[in-house]
Amino acid sequence: MRLADRAYGVTVRQEIKFRTKREVSIGAIYATLDRLEVKGYVSTRLGDPTPERGGRSKRFFHVTAKGVAAVTRTQRAFRA
Amino acid sequence: MTSQAYLGQPPCLAVWFINPFTANENAESIFGDLLGEYSYLASKSGVTLARRWYWRQIVKTIAHLCGSAYRAAPWSATAAAVGGFLLHRFVCGLPHKLLSEVTDRYLAFWSTHFNAYLWALKGMMPAPLIALLCVGCIIALPARGREMVATITLALVLCALIGSAMVWTATHLPRVLCGCCGHWLIRSRSLLAGQSSERIDRLR
Repeated sequence: MRLADRAYGVTVRQEIKFRTKREVSIGAIYATLDRLEVKGYVSTRLGDPTPERGGRSKRFFHVTAKGVAAVTRTQRAFRA
Repeated sequence: MTSQAYLGQPPCLAVWFINPFTANENAESIFGDLLGEYSYLASKSGVTLARRWYWRQIVKTIAHLCGSAYRAAPWSATAAAVGGFLLHRFVCGLPHKLLSEVTDRYLAFWSTHFNAYLWALKGMMPAPLIALLCVGCIIALPARGREMVATITLALVLCALIGSAMVWTATHLPRVLCGCCGHWLIRSRSLLAGQSSERIDRLR
């Protein structure tokens, strides 16, 4: 949600590292985001291929309305 | 980060390790992300540190991908591993049973052509490896998408059995141990190679 339309594997990983001071692997990011996608909390789209990624495209993630509702619910539960 | 110059390739062996674990839809993103960060790290902190980082990421990523693939369908992965184990027990004994049948039936022929019998015995040596390749392929067919988890589980079970056998051999027959080690390592590799070949064939 913080990353808005810039959220892909590398930026999500860096954001987690910056916020939690913990190193997470790319595999953990994708495994988690895949599960969230299956549950309908995030949606994905492929970006354009770039040369520094060896011609591979970025997979951008976007939090869906259902995901935002789930985050809000969780935040309320934590604060209560 | 995207403006960083592209600095060489990541370790080929690491790429080769992770390749079978990545599902089709994630492979491109994972490799792209790893390469992007590798290039950035290599330009910022040097190739040695970047390579070390890349290897650490590969090991952690493989563990996570295996764990998530197993959690996604624990029963089918376990069933594939158990089925594979039973199939392995059945298939690996077949070549020697076949040879025993043939030698028993044509005993007179083999006793006069003993050299041919020795050649047949030598020819049987790669048979268990071929059988394991087949087992790997057969496991990979029903466990599509989770073939690495199933074959790795089976390989780990076989390794555990081999480990126990090696401990026993080391304590009772230490001289035999060295020969057995190489033999069993090759057999485990055959199993994984079998599922890989099925997977590569499917991806084509």
